[in-house]
Amino acid sequence: MAILVTEKTKVLIQGITGKEGSKVALQMKNYGTKVLAGVTPGKGGQEIHGVPVYNTVAEALENHPGINTSFVAVPNFAAFGAIKESIDNKIPLINILTEHIPIQDTAKAIALARKKNVRIIGPSSIGIISPGIGKVGSIGGDDPRGVYSKGSVGVISKSGGMASEVSWILTKNNIGQSTVIGIGGDILVGSSFADLMEDFEKDDATKALVLFGEIGGTYEEEAAEFIKRGKFSKPVVAFVSGLFAETLPQGTKLGHAGAIIYGEKGSYKSKIKSLESAGAIIAKTPDEIPNLLK
Amino acid sequence: MLLYEFEGKKLFKDCGIQVPESQLLESESQRVRVKLPLVFKAQVLSGKRADSGGIVVVKGKGESVKGEVKKLFSTKINGERVEKVLVEEAIDWEKEYYLSFSYSTETRGPVLTFGEGGTGVEGKGVKTYPVDFSVLPKELVETAQKLWQVFTKYDCELAEINPLVIDKAGKVWALDSKVILDDDADFRRDVKFPQRNLFGRAPTQREIEARIIDEGDHRGTAGSVYWDLPGDIAVIAAGGGGSIVNMDALLNLGGKPANYTEHSGNPPREKLKKLTKIILSKPGLKGCWFVGGTANFTDIYETLMGFVEGLREIKPKPTYPIVIRRGGPRDKEAFEELKDIGKKEGFDFHIYGRETPMTSTAKIMKELAYGNISN
Repeated sequence: MAILVTEKTKVLIQGITGKEGSKVALQMKNYGTKVLAGVTPGKGGQEIHGVPVYNTVAEALENHPGINTSFVAVPNFAAFGAIKESIDNKIPLINILTEHIPIQDTAKAIALARKKNVRIIGPSSIGIISPGIGKVGSIGGDDPRGVYSKGSVGVISKSGGMASEVSWILTKNNIGQSTVIGIGGDILVGSSFADLMEDFEKDDATKALVLFGEIGGTYEEEAAEFIKRGKFSKPVVAFVSGLFAETLPQGTKLGHAGAIIYGEKGSYKSKIKSLESAGAIIAKTPDEIPNLLK
Repeated sequence: MLLYEFEGKKLFKDCGIQVPESQLLESESQRVRVKLPLVFKAQVLSGKRADSGGIVVVKGKGESVKGEVKKLFSTKINGERVEKVLVEEAIDWEKEYYLSFSYSTETRGPVLTFGEGGTGVEGKGVKTYPVDFSVLPKELVETAQKLWQVFTKYDCELAEINPLVIDKAGKVWALDSKVILDDDADFRRDVKFPQRNLFGRAPTQREIEARIIDEGDHRGTAGSVYWDLPGDIAVIAAGGGGSIVNMDALLNLGGKPANYTEHSGNPPREKLKKLTKIILSKPGLKGCWFVGGTANFTDIYETLMGFVEGLREIKPKPTYPIVIRRGGPRDKEAFEELKDIGKKEGFDFHIYGRETPMTSTAKIMKELAYGNISN
């Protein structure tokens, strides 16, 4: 098995007629993921790469009741409405590619999702891939096969690019991955490291885990706490980046909105200290990761 | 975007929060109209303003109002020049509090932070709660509701009043403001504020030019995050995460980056061309590092050809070492052509693909740029 994306995954794409949506639709199909339907308001009746387009999520679900995953690739100003529509229709897993969603909208979406027991991955997520099984999102691009390979190491990364780089380093060293997830680098994310570690703990196919973290926020500290409380028993190798960002004036914005420091909170030191004391092995460069997993 | 105190207070006032009578001075020659006793407050973005002499109270007529204004305008606060001074009537208060709304990565939602005491909040019994007005003293609830309105209406990441005070008559006043706006909500906020620079200096020409590359072209991003730094190795880094990883690696080795920038999401070659021209326009460069991980979907051929097109337009022609490390779609094709171009046009290219660890090229770059000196 793997987590989140399995043989049972059946995808709806919100924003399928857009540039990103249609591109990713084709990528997912080519990788063997079942893409049942797409939604773009006002464009119902079309077909994109053989996938039927509907005006609303409800309409798509009526015609394809098997849908269990929604992939959101709409512009930021329309994202909350799209996410809400999927939550209201109780699609259990929503993966959000959209970047630059106002934090107020993300907070509202997370609160709604909790109420309805819906899981959100993202925003600003590169996607989820279970190598050899399927993928949701733009992770791996047109051809994930060269970078991602099937195996027993789970990867959770704030950075999409680094999810790819880390997986490639593992693959190059003959270490395959069970599932690789880009959780996004925003301040608020639908699923944190710890949320997904709960799933990886239960997953028999996963024997070890790689965390790619960054300064800012508290998700790395939360992951450390999760391990300390005995809720994750598999080996963890963690990498944290962002020392450079700490040399800049406080509050300086970089590409990842979450990688921002105010005061002591979320510093590199705090993250490394808590992960180390929880028993995670710290990689100083991404290339050390394979050796540390052995 | 972090707002100045006077800008934040405008938003407060707009939502009905009581702020002292005030006047904004933009030069030392402006006449002060606020009556004594009054407070002069330097408008700077850095914290700990009071400790740095940025707040001056003038009580009696014997004190020189003009002299204080002149002094403040010539002060630097944590390296930041004082360009504006807010003059406010002094408020005689009895109790002071801290109150703010922000987002917490722990609860992953908005939170209310409240406690007694003004500046130096840490350790004064200030606590964070889910947004629930019933944790507040009755006399503060109305102000808190108004602050919540500021927080949501203007899409803030932080709306803070510190200190929030109550005077003898029981009136509630916001004596200071700290507001951080969510830049991602700029599209729906009807008030606009001028750009500012956290580095305590005006933005450089390169920063201004780089940050507009993305304007009107949503295909990927290049240069929208760009900072000039004091070093001599130009860095053209890919990916919001990978760029920071590589900067960490270069700094660890003692390399001195000339800039920080990112490109990601498969930007077209024109964007890379523009960005390259801007970065390499910096005088005194000793090397150029084009670095990124193994991309998911960014077209490596297109981005590297954009780089070469920009490189060709740099005068004088760069003779310093150019280290390239990249992986992803069409990388092999790109490298073949780069090798050719390097030979034919005489660029000192050092090309590495995905088989070479990304961060290990930091060492190669540093040694080529500065000579083989170990640190």
